[in-house]
Amino acid sequence: MDLENQRRVKDFAEQYGGENVVVLLGAAEGEAAGLAAETVTNGDPTYAGPLTGVPLGLKVYHVCESGVRAEFDRSIYDEQVGMMEMVLDVEDIEKEMTSIREQYCKY
Amino acid sequence: MSILKGKKAVIIGDRDGVPGPAIEACAKSAGAEVVFSSTECFV
Amino acid sequence: MKSVIKGTGYILVHAPDMVLHSGSTQRMERTINGESEYLQKLPHHLRTFDEAVAYYPNQVYIGNKTPEELSKVEQPWHDKLCPDAKRFGKFGQILPQEEFLLLMRACDVFDLVHLRREFVARTKAAFAANALLGESILARVGEGEDMDEIARRVDEGRSEGLYHGGELVGCVDRAHEIDDTLSAHVMHENIVYKASCVLALLSAVKNAGIAREDVDYVIDCSEEACGDMNQRGGGNFAKSAAEIAGLANATGSDCRGFCAAPAHAIIEAAALVASGAYKTVVVTSGGSTAKLGMNAKDHVKHDLPVLEDMLAGFAAVITQDDGASPAIDLSLLGRHTVGTGSAPQAVISSLVTDPLDRAGLKIRDIDKFSPELQNPDITKPAGAGDVPLSNYKMIAALAARRGEIEKADLPAFIERHGLVGWAPTQGHIPSGVPYLGFACERIREGTLRRVMVIGKGSLFLGRMTNLFDGVSFVVEANDGKPDAPYSETQGKKRRPKIALTGMGGEHGEENAVLAAQMAASRGVDVVYIGSLDTKDIAAERVSSETQAHERMEQLLQSGAIDGAVTMHYPFPIGVSTVGRVVTPARGREMFIASTTGTASTDRAEALVKNAISGIAAAKACGIAAPTVGILNVDGAPQAESLLRALGEGGYDICWAASARADGGALMRGNDVLQGTADVLVTDSLTGNVLVKMLGAYTTGGSFESVGFGYGPGIGKGYDKLVLIVSRASGVPVVANALAFAAQLAEGDVRSVVRREFEAAERAGLSKLLAARGGAKERAPQDTAEVSPPPAEPCTESISGVDVLDIEDAARALWRAGIYAETGMGCTGPLVMMSDKNRMRAEEILKEAGYIE
Repeated sequence: MDLENQRRVKDFAEQYGGENVVVLLGAAEGEAAGLAAETVTNGDPTYAGPLTGVPLGLKVYHVCESGVRAEFDRSIYDEQVGMMEMVLDVEDIEKEMTSIREQYCKY
Repeated sequence: MSILKGKKAVIIGDRDGVPGPAIEACAKSAGAEVVFSSTECFV
Repeated sequence: MKSVIKGTGYILVHAPDMVLHSGSTQRMERTINGESEYLQKLPHHLRTFDEAVAYYPNQVYIGNKTPEELSKVEQPWHDKLCPDAKRFGKFGQILPQEEFLLLMRACDVFDLVHLRREFVARTKAAFAANALLGESILARVGEGEDMDEIARRVDEGRSEGLYHGGELVGCVDRAHEIDDTLSAHVMHENIVYKASCVLALLSAVKNAGIAREDVDYVIDCSEEACGDMNQRGGGNFAKSAAEIAGLANATGSDCRGFCAAPAHAIIEAAALVASGAYKTVVVTSGGSTAKLGMNAKDHVKHDLPVLEDMLAGFAAVITQDDGASPAIDLSLLGRHTVGTGSAPQAVISSLVTDPLDRAGLKIRDIDKFSPELQNPDITKPAGAGDVPLSNYKMIAALAARRGEIEKADLPAFIERHGLVGWAPTQGHIPSGVPYLGFACERIREGTLRRVMVIGKGSLFLGRMTNLFDGVSFVVEANDGKPDAPYSETQGKKRRPKIALTGMGGEHGEENAVLAAQMAASRGVDVVYIGSLDTKDIAAERVSSETQAHERMEQLLQSGAIDGAVTMHYPFPIGVSTVGRVVTPARGREMFIASTTGTASTDRAEALVKNAISGIAAAKACGIAAPTVGILNVDGAPQAESLLRALGEGGYDICWAASARADGGALMRGNDVLQGTADVLVTDSLTGNVLVKMLGAYTTGGSFESVGFGYGPGIGKGYDKLVLIVSRASGVPVVANALAFAAQLAEGDVRSVVRREFEAAERAGLSKLLAARGGAKERAPQDTAEVSPPPAEPCTESISGVDVLDIEDAARALWRAGIYAETGMGCTGPLVMMSDKNRMRAEEILKEAGYIE
């Protein structure tokens, strides 16, 4: 994850408390989604950014996952994401995300 | 229990997946407060 | 004025040491953790020059292999060597790092680049052997300098080192002591950029076959910035590269727009040429050091070679129309606007369907889409997926959502209209333009007609806006006609002149004169050929029907008229006629693709030819993708399978679906009354009956009052525009026929027909028709005794078998152990079998020649 984005995530978690923050991702495939999710839960696995060794354990979802999708306004989701969802391998993304959440999510 | 309602949403979109502003629109519709939205680019 | 793409150039530079020293990922890593495991592993993952040359995507980039060849190579590609890999290709070349360092020196006009004397001495011969560069550039290299001074400057941090094979061989000095924008790092980045840009410019100018002096203007479209602290992006890379490339008569400017910039720049260049401001504009870009090894962490992690070790450049020469080179259609531009938003579907609609909709075209009217062509070998291990494929999926999904293709056809659509990516991830380089070289070749040879190039840009990375960006343009075949100046095309076109021969009808010649007047009052430019006086209408006086036909042919031959409406006129064998009727249920117009003559002596073949002619007529009348149905007459299923085979070969047919509950492309009587299809294909006699019935159903029969008559004769190689009406056609039908003729002439029906038959031919028309004749003879009369396998429920069926062969077909399946029954479906005879045997049965019946 981009270093500046890591810094922002870290600051927001401190400012609002980890339990109040949810990270939403739009990654193009499962592995990238998993890496970003790992960064905001267990710390930066590439040891490059401000989240290196910082296990924030934040709640993190990919925008196409069924869990969060159900909470969006259906028509807005269809308009903004609907067609991209057809292109993405949502099953793979969901699998990666679930695995990361089960291992590292604290909230 | 809802995941997003009343929460602070931090959005990390992807240029070749779903970009930040598109996620932002969805998150707002679920009652989250969007505190940060950006889009990453791998290419 | 049209602007055309005269030539393109594509170059690569192998830069492994720059991956280590200049790539932004590595620079950041060194700042954060200079001792990291990644930095230690990285040098072991670099490729040699020969490995980089033999990398399949690189060979495609310089034109030695085609995208089609690449698509047949199984991914990943990094572990496969490309056969016959060469350093030089038809579009450009791959320059080794050591020669490139000399080119950097040649591009330095501020005495900032210094090279070791020994290094220059051992490299110069190879550099001089590069025919593209020429004496003036060679002379700029010099002899090199002493090593001690170079090493000292690098140690003191005043200069950025230049390395080759891990050895310090030179440096780039800072251009100012304090100004960050002129630091050694920035100067290194910009001189690398400039040098690769020069190489691209020279390649394109050479490939276009123009003189360097011919270039009026250069547009640079990179993502770099040059200037000083008071004008950080002051520019003008374009002119500085043009200077070294010897484009003495050119000026230029820089166009920026992240990865979308090349597409923006080509549109701007095309517009500058089309407006007449400049005659020859070159769009160019070199490569980016920052992006070298951008995703190398992932590549190292997956134990792959560092695939981002190539600097890339491209250039395209845009000139005034030469009558042959592919043209850029400035009326077909897509653009992502401030208001478009960032939803992926909104982005792709703005770039793809919005311009097509404005032009009345369908997505399938674009033969190939060239979106960003990032090499998936690079992006997939880095978590960015297969970018071109995602774009194609989006375009296909859009086409499906608009009902232009069936959902089941998505993979076939992507295969036919898409490409695999081969471009290095140098930001702006993949932006649609890597395909221009191939696209121009394909368009020139006639295998493609329209190619859409789509550039997209991540503006949000500049932190000035959250907006996305993109533009698209279409490159198309040059029709060879000089384009009218812009102002004239906005004004009135010359109206086509249409003749009417008036003698020989059952309602008297007055009927014809009234029809001519009715058509004229509606704006058709009519010439009347007959024996009666006509008020206010140009007339050619003749005294018999034979004379009228002779006069009509003379006028057509001389070009004095553009088309004619007549009756009782024979067409040569092979010509179809395409009538146009108004169907009673909803008043929908429908083209009846039939013939008043003989399209072919074989029924199915005749139907196929009628179908292609019908599609051409409908297209010439402005229906971009007409739907086609075949009237359920003898031979219709065979014709359908032939046309579907043609579709598989690449000839696009939009099938209509019968309005009856069971659907299908075979039309019943109900569909005739409802006008279900835009084009209804039928045989000669049935077509004749239909046009007459649908022309006269309101009057009781003797006077045809509705519709447009039998329409134009259309066939491969038949180039006269002659429309037939019946001798029982009344005034309104004849008047409509005149208007129909004018519409066809305005729609350039001759070119449309030529294109349609060419497209069908490319899809294998002749071969299919020939194979059909052969197949029929091969199908043996099946008389041998065979007993059926154990019965099982027959839930699937295959149609298309001739009714006379249906029992033999079933027996052929029995012989293969497949239980089959025969039956009559509402679209014709069927062979039925179980679900699990369906596929095999089809293969067997095909093999034996029962179905196409």
